[in-house]
Amino acid sequence: MFKSLIEKNERRSQLSIMAQYLNTCFMISTVDDEYLISIEKGNVTNVEEGPFVMPSYIFKLTASKNEWLKFLQSTPQPGSHDIIAMLRRKVLKFEGDLHPLMSHLLYFKLLLASLRPTESNREN
Amino acid sequence: MKIEKEPITGNYGKFEIDGVKHRIYWEEAGEGIPLVCLHTAGSDGRQYRALLNDKKILKKYRVIVFDMPWHGKSSPPENSQVGHYKLSTESYISQIMSFIDGLELVKPVVMGCSIGGRIILHLAIHFPEKFKALIGLQSAGHLDPYYDISWLHRQDVHGGEVCGGIAYGLMAPTSPENDKFETMWHYMQGGPGIFKGDLFFYKFDGNIGTEIKKINNSKCPIFLLTGEYDYSATPEETKSLADTIGIEMVKMKNVGHFPMSENPEEFLKYLHPVLEKIN
Repeated sequence: MFKSLIEKNERRSQLSIMAQYLNTCFMISTVDDEYLISIEKGNVTNVEEGPFVMPSYIFKLTASKNEWLKFLQSTPQPGSHDIIAMLRRKVLKFEGDLHPLMSHLLYFKLLLASLRPTESNREN
Repeated sequence: MKIEKEPITGNYGKFEIDGVKHRIYWEEAGEGIPLVCLHTAGSDGRQYRALLNDKKILKKYRVIVFDMPWHGKSSPPENSQVGHYKLSTESYISQIMSFIDGLELVKPVVMGCSIGGRIILHLAIHFPEKFKALIGLQSAGHLDPYYDISWLHRQDVHGGEVCGGIAYGLMAPTSPENDKFETMWHYMQGGPGIFKGDLFFYKFDGNIGTEIKKINNSKCPIFLLTGEYDYSATPEETKSLADTIGIEMVKMKNVGHFPMSENPEEFLKYLHPVLEKIN
């Protein structure tokens, strides 16, 4: 579900500028599946899919697979269009050291939104 | 090269608010019924740029938008210190009433969004006779905190970046990117701690509770419009408010928390009939 985050780096050069000093590792959980995502200088350098024995990460975002699928629609419905909207509905949980996330909030929102199908994404 | 000049005039003036002199900036355009517009928390009057340029509205309304103290081009009051700003219900009411009195506006219409959509409820409770009508955009009677607002003012997080990030998500994915970017940019330009200080009113001090039952729509007509993508003041919350007051609300498709700024074209479709009704 989130493996393709690493495939779109070249199309996210503008986005990487917004996080050019960011080096972190975070986890996205769909409850059943887990993804460890490494970021160096604003670029996604690795996405590893679980299961993990002893995963090490800075922060974690957890929502059900169904909620993530709703978020990833090309035009998501109200309440599913933003991670803070999901937090508000209590369907997404933020855990861990949230400093990298909150200090680069727009970057992470746009990074996750880059997985939504668009005309240009469909062409590729 | 010929420029496309807008009909907006900018002004500065000194207003006394709660006994303290404030240097306030406001913009206006049009002639007719005064329509005072209140911007959202942590932003400024530029949010109403489309209204100030809308020929249809300017024929019948004198649209007036002021930047709250500490916001936009308005100055902080004398002897202010960074980090000490907290908007209270009383001070918010005082600045609106001082502005209206200062400009000698008689029975204006007041339209506010978000914190502005909340304060018009307080105005309806305390001074219904002073207004021709009140319009609440993204109005809710109260808001329980759903994220930790201390992130909005920390020395180890860039305030402009985080406030912009918060504002971005409150907009509809269907709103035009240029208008969304401009709306977010206003948030990125706010002073340290100002958005957070405004939210003290929005999430704590300005919560209305059962006082909402004191609103009498026959003394001053109230109109409530809320964008469907707003998760801060949701359409459901506005509906509950409207039911308590005994009026209808309008749910606006394809807009979020900043209708007048994130998607003016869509918003004006909803606002024109309201202004026609008031007129």
